[in-house]
Amino acid sequence: MDKSIIINGEKYPIDVESDMPLLWFLRDHLEKTGTKFGCGAGLCGACTVHIDGVATRACITPVGTLAGRAITTIEGLSENGDHPLQKAWVANNVPQCGYCQAGQIMNAASFLKQNPNPSADDIDNAMQGNICRCGTYQRIKKAVAEAADELAKEVS
Amino acid sequence: MTIANVSRRDFIKTSGLATGGLIIGVTLPPMASASDAHVDNATFNPNAFVHLQDNGDLLIYCGRCEMGQGINTALPAAVADEMEADWQRVTVRQADGDEEKYGPQGTGGSRSINIMFEPMRKAGASAKLMLIAAAAKVWKVPPEECQAENHFVYHQPSGKKLSFGQLANIAATLEVPTKPTLKSVDDFKYVGKFIPNQNIHQIIKGELTYGVDTKLPGLKYASVVHCPVYGGKLKSLDKSEALAIKGVLDVIVIERLEMPFGSLGGVAVVADNSWTAQKAAKLLKIEWERGPHGSYDTKSYKAQLVKNVESPAELVSERGDVTTGLKNASKVVKATYTGGHIAHSPMEPNASVVWVQKDSCEVWAATQAPKAIQDTLAAYLKRDAKDILVHVTMAGGAFGRKFKCDYVHEAAVISQHINAPVQLTWTREEDMRTGYYHSISAQHIEAGIDEHGAIQGWLHRVAFPAIGTLFNPAQQRAGKGELSAVDNYPYGIENFRSESGEAPAHTRIGWYRAVYAIFYGFSFSSFSDELAYAANKDPLSYLNQLYDANNNPDQQEQAKRSKAVLNLVAEKANWHNRDKLPKNQGIGLAVHFSFSTYVAMAVKVEVNGEDIKVLEVDCAIDCGQVLNINGATAQMEGAVVMGMGLALRTEITFRDGAVVNSNFHDYPVLRINEMPKVNVHIHNSGHKPTGLGEPGVAPFAPALGNAVYAASGKRYRDLPFKPMSI
Repeated sequence: MDKSIIINGEKYPIDVESDMPLLWFLRDHLEKTGTKFGCGAGLCGACTVHIDGVATRACITPVGTLAGRAITTIEGLSENGDHPLQKAWVANNVPQCGYCQAGQIMNAASFLKQNPNPSADDIDNAMQGNICRCGTYQRIKKAVAEAADELAKEVS
Repeated sequence: MTIANVSRRDFIKTSGLATGGLIIGVTLPPMASASDAHVDNATFNPNAFVHLQDNGDLLIYCGRCEMGQGINTALPAAVADEMEADWQRVTVRQADGDEEKYGPQGTGGSRSINIMFEPMRKAGASAKLMLIAAAAKVWKVPPEECQAENHFVYHQPSGKKLSFGQLANIAATLEVPTKPTLKSVDDFKYVGKFIPNQNIHQIIKGELTYGVDTKLPGLKYASVVHCPVYGGKLKSLDKSEALAIKGVLDVIVIERLEMPFGSLGGVAVVADNSWTAQKAAKLLKIEWERGPHGSYDTKSYKAQLVKNVESPAELVSERGDVTTGLKNASKVVKATYTGGHIAHSPMEPNASVVWVQKDSCEVWAATQAPKAIQDTLAAYLKRDAKDILVHVTMAGGAFGRKFKCDYVHEAAVISQHINAPVQLTWTREEDMRTGYYHSISAQHIEAGIDEHGAIQGWLHRVAFPAIGTLFNPAQQRAGKGELSAVDNYPYGIENFRSESGEAPAHTRIGWYRAVYAIFYGFSFSSFSDELAYAANKDPLSYLNQLYDANNNPDQQEQAKRSKAVLNLVAEKANWHNRDKLPKNQGIGLAVHFSFSTYVAMAVKVEVNGEDIKVLEVDCAIDCGQVLNINGATAQMEGAVVMGMGLALRTEITFRDGAVVNSNFHDYPVLRINEMPKVNVHIHNSGHKPTGLGEPGVAPFAPALGNAVYAASGKRYRDLPFKPMSI
């Protein structure tokens, strides 16, 4: 059986205990620290990555279950930090401390793929699993809405 | 203040900073407590370095710690502005912990801008003059004919220009001007404008390094379980199951260090990754001796605090005759307000890397106080504080928590024990259960008013375990310093008395963003609203009346600036048309002066039964000169979020001496779906700049309570209004 995992397009062997959450496989084993530890219980969203394009909490997802799956982390979301969400984040000056923001952006990126034309309530519902203690929520709402508009232009 | 050309100074070479180009060091005036006589000008103590490299890149070393409050954008912008530098060429570097070199680095109390704005401007202005002098030397023209603009120096008569980078090495050989002229406010290009967060491009790509992100060759990882009760001790430990886990390297008992910022005591597991350490820590079989605080119960403690403020307590301050004032009043209003413990819960839990070696100790930590780390580790290791090298990383939020370095001390204990670099990351559960909490509190106010609502007497009793208990655990009640905001509240109150009730600490109490302003703002602004209704007055005009009644010449500025933000926010929130709102909606006002800054809020709510929905929040601020509109606005938006969380729901509950809450499911901080629209209005009073990191938190809760009362007639006097029962 293939015991490897694809992270941001590169293949890595899963050579750790299979119950190790993906978060720690990324952070401690591969030393990719863009994905953050916040709660360890799937409650805050700081560790959000994409598994086959779907936003997932890496802190509660054992890496042993991910053989053959494709993971995208914040480091791999775009080539040059130019994903429409990243651009909207810059345009709206969203971050304060920035610690939760990778999780916020990854969660929003997955959500916009599923719902390219969200209402304000849709954005609230999709993003309420991601905590920001600095309180950047107002700017997150605006940035997600603007990125949705931008993505709509790209596909049309 | 001294500004000096340190480009050639030896310590630059030994400090690991890049050399070459022009480096300006800034030395601060001594702190208010030190006398000028002790300043030794021969010893150069720079607070920050402005380093212009010969390729034109401008590095600014910032001694103050960044945790999201934006200081590493605002202060460098002041330098760049005075220097006529191109903001695109600026890189900010966090300085290592060294107060001899950088001046006070403890970042709290919203003081960085108050302390650093002018020194940083002078550093920039001096650098500009030196670059101009360098160009004048090259061109053999009088410096008066040259001017600097956007990273170049121009000589207009000849049309010549040289870039800052070309001039850096020449400027480095010149004397520093002693009295650089500063720009007038109208000439600022960056200061006072909207400046993006200088870290933003790293943040959105996941490239910014926080305390939790440090990696070193040979790094080991640790997790810790603390004694759940303050002052408790380890009774027995069975570590066999933990040690049996593959990848576990050691289990180490950490003794309590009886220093304010030392470890509570606990047991740590070291492994080859954090997950294994966390997993094994759950398998430790530990019995604790709960110690003297083993029966601490916040519910009964709070009830006791209420008793202590509803009966006579120890006199703190008195002016006029409050007894007669209350007796002669046409109406006496009494109310008791309470608040619970709260936990900082920054998104980045406590984390650091420490490597203790025989002859060195190196630390990488998200911290607000590198010197506290040096002092604590020096005491623990019995070494000189100067030998503890602290690299300050970006903090993923802090809010006062990372002023205390117990987590760094623990990493040092582990590193020393296993003789390797160690990264200790606390779990969220440990972060929430063994923190330094905002004081639980009770306040009782009795005020007498005449038929016009004028205050005849004001009795204010408080009871809360004070932060002083960290330093002196025997302290039984809040003292004069801790009540100074009460005693000096800028309402006009002639007959006044403050008293402090007994409130010993049963846990570690610490600064939390806005500190005592959280409950003082709540009591004063809630109670004045209650008085307005008792006097049958419009709350806005009543608040104005309270400030107008202030005849103290020392408080005229406070009264005037408080009123200015209050009236601005009322206008912006459409206060005078509030009777046109639907019946279940209301607007509440509050204004609070803290950390030298004035903030007023108007909160609009809709109340349906027990459900409180915050619709919109207007904030008016007067922090003097605003350095960065982006940062100032962000701080207020964040203050609303934090204020709303603590007003509505977040509370730390102790039972049998230990915290019951454990993670974000039972410590429900505000989430995006409850985020109201926030509008920030800046009142530019022309005063010198003051901080904004904390003052915005205080007025939210009372403005919300006042709004709920306006909408529903229900008065909330206990923070949080809607505690989760756990």
